[in-house]
Amino acid sequence: MLQLQTYLLLLLTGIMWGGVYLLMASGLNLIYGVMKVVNLAHGDFIVVAGLLAVTLYGAFRAGPALAIPVATLLFLLVGGLVYRGLLARVETTAPQGELRTLLITFGLSSIISNIALLIWGGQYQSVPFFQSAVHLGALFFPESLLVSSLLAFALAFAVQLWLTRTRSGRLVRATAQSELGAASCGLNTGRIRLLTFALGAAMAGAAGALTVVLIPVQAASGGFMTVQAFTLIALGGLGNYLGALLAAILLGVIEVSSSYFLGASAASAVIYVIFILVLIVRPQGLLGQRGRI
Amino acid sequence: MRRRHIRPTFPGWRATGLFKQEGAWLIFGVAVVAGVLIALFGNGDQAQLLFSTCLFVVLAYAWNIISGLSGYVSFGQVGFFGIGAYVAATCQIAWQWDWYLAALGAVLAAVLLALPLGTVMLRLQGIFFALGMFGLSHIGALIATSTPLVGGSMGEPVPIVGSTQETALVMLACAVGSVLLTAWLLRSPLGLRLLALRDDEKAAEASGINTNASKVVAFCLSAGLAALAGALYVWNVGFIDPGSAFNNTYELQTILMVLFGGIGTLWGPLLGAVVISLISNALWAQFPQQQQIILGALILIAVLWMPGGLVSLFQRFGWLRRRPVWGPPPMIEAEARRALFPAAVSRTGEPALRCEEITRRFGGLTALNRVNLEARSGQIVAVIGPNGAGKTTLFNLITGFDRCNGGTIRFGETLLNRLAPYRIARAGIARTFQTCRPFPSLTAWETLLLPALAAGIPKEETIRTATQMLERLALREQWDASPEGLPPGQLRFLEIGRALMLRPRVLLLDEVMAGMSPEEIHLVHALLREAVAAGCAVVAIEHVVPAIMPIADHVYVLDFGTTIAQGRPDEVLRNPAVIEAYLGTGEEAPVNA
Repeated sequence: MLQLQTYLLLLLTGIMWGGVYLLMASGLNLIYGVMKVVNLAHGDFIVVAGLLAVTLYGAFRAGPALAIPVATLLFLLVGGLVYRGLLARVETTAPQGELRTLLITFGLSSIISNIALLIWGGQYQSVPFFQSAVHLGALFFPESLLVSSLLAFALAFAVQLWLTRTRSGRLVRATAQSELGAASCGLNTGRIRLLTFALGAAMAGAAGALTVVLIPVQAASGGFMTVQAFTLIALGGLGNYLGALLAAILLGVIEVSSSYFLGASAASAVIYVIFILVLIVRPQGLLGQRGRI
Repeated sequence: MRRRHIRPTFPGWRATGLFKQEGAWLIFGVAVVAGVLIALFGNGDQAQLLFSTCLFVVLAYAWNIISGLSGYVSFGQVGFFGIGAYVAATCQIAWQWDWYLAALGAVLAAVLLALPLGTVMLRLQGIFFALGMFGLSHIGALIATSTPLVGGSMGEPVPIVGSTQETALVMLACAVGSVLLTAWLLRSPLGLRLLALRDDEKAAEASGINTNASKVVAFCLSAGLAALAGALYVWNVGFIDPGSAFNNTYELQTILMVLFGGIGTLWGPLLGAVVISLISNALWAQFPQQQQIILGALILIAVLWMPGGLVSLFQRFGWLRRRPVWGPPPMIEAEARRALFPAAVSRTGEPALRCEEITRRFGGLTALNRVNLEARSGQIVAVIGPNGAGKTTLFNLITGFDRCNGGTIRFGETLLNRLAPYRIARAGIARTFQTCRPFPSLTAWETLLLPALAAGIPKEETIRTATQMLERLALREQWDASPEGLPPGQLRFLEIGRALMLRPRVLLLDEVMAGMSPEEIHLVHALLREAVAAGCAVVAIEHVVPAIMPIADHVYVLDFGTTIAQGRPDEVLRNPAVIEAYLGTGEEAPVNA
């Protein structure tokens, strides 16, 4: 009986962590789906948003309710500027276009994480909010995890609704499926790409400001977060929303159970092993073509 | 006497090109001598700067081989640096090996590890490969941190036996070695194969290149060089720990250096490594905190405003260009000439290629439905049919780029259904592509050398045949032109030439005469007649019916994936079904040849 309870706890906690991972990856997924650009500075956006939340907490005792909108707006702006100033200057489809966008975001990642290091220093920091435990029957969960994952699933659902049910979402999907086709129907694809990148960055900002209550961050943790997010969307099939949801839950459960059974450092190795195995065995993702943006 | 050819765009370039190449080597020699003098007579700090600069030169060339020459960008090549460092440290601590034996062991270990790793990882493309390698280097760091093998996460001192000056001298020698290795690669058949697969992997396979093997060799060379740098690094600093062995900053710096200097070039990594090392050394003294930020900004600048790197600035003046392999084509005396197509490979009329009942379905669409096709040596078979009839799919199935759902394809006695494309090409089935797939990095001359090299023809013979082929295609004057500079007709000639250089027994031509002028069509006809006379079987897909009918012996007409007619050209063109399918109405007169 106790055994069963443990497994149930692992499963539910895993699913919740999956939601958090999904939140942290969805900006990357949106940007890749539309622009075919992997934003290697994604993790650094999350980290900086988290550290910003820490500062806001330190200054005003403000919780995520203030930090999330601030970080979202800030990174909406940052995303727009990065796109206008850097990425718009590179032709993605030209020879070496993909490489050049990768290298730009790689350089950007180095700049952002090191500026963060200068401002916030190298120690891990967190925001002590939602610190109580929530009892559900005989099981109990940290409140921070519960809140984060609920908000994460809600946001993922909202993005899905936006993409499928609204006019602007449909324009974004049209651009994702065929940029040339969208352009020849008279869409301003440059503006849609700008919107997408800004939104993707804003999602990273929101994710960072929220998950800092759960995951302590440090200026240099961005690289790891990018790889984690990329693992997730690669597992789901790059740019695939449904696949990403499935992959998030799978990864969450695997991570939680492997750190329960094998220990925390082994769990992070397990993630990389899964990542590499997925790349090799199923590079098109769990669902393949189905469920693309 | 060799004739001098003047490049149309750069008058006088060829006359001075040789000097400029040698000038670059001269400057390099002077720099090496200066380095030796610093190592011998300089103080410890200068020797240390020389060491770290040379370390980055080696790392830059290691990264350039896999990411620049073969185009597989890796974000984890520094992992091999760490592995080299750990193997060397283990050898020195646990078994008291001498440093050079430890370095040798490190290189061997890295190459042995890279062999299976490359075989698996190089199936991935683009971002998947880059980030997959990033993950691997992280796993390496995790293993080093969590095992107590060599100091664990805290690290462990390694006995220092040499002075800084000594290590700097050895590192300098390794840097020179890596420059020479790259120079050799760029003048070798392996280098040609890498450049070709970087440009177009499919076209490279169709030219008979085992692209997987070439990539893995490049990967192993790169791993070995990086491990050598790691082993010497441990020897220099006398300490090993996971943080500095698997240091992502090194990866960042290395990539920056190669980009800054010029990716995929001979001199780019050297220029980049030296310039960036000196800059970051100066920055380190002045802004230790902001160093990484400035390096990141330099990456942005290099990518946005200098995509070709420093080398591209020189190349604008014709300096530091890559010299074509085995060029220029020699003059061949009349008595040294051989027939372009060697004596009949098989008797005329013998079946060379037989497709039986082949079927290919894409989801619900049946692109080919139980199609039969036979090509006999010494004959020209035309395959005609409207758009979407399945003609190109048929070629893709024969050449192994796509697999049948049913049926058999035989070449003589060999079953081709499961063979890799490069094996099919080497066996003697050559093809052209519907839209030309040239290798922009190679000259016309090298494009012709490549298939002969893949087919294992000796060097002398390859050079002779390629020269004669150039002349036959009227491309001799443009031997060192990039395909991007050739007009469309000549580009197609080059593609036909590339296919013929495989000495095929079956030649598959996919709409080569589309858009050609009558003179050009005449030249293609003459070439095909010559090939056929030597016993080659030709299968030609053609939209321009009048262009192929005069020389065709047999015609197949495909429509919606089935053969609707076949026979002699004049018979087929009178067939009402063909007229209806191909020309749309039954009332117009058939196209006259």
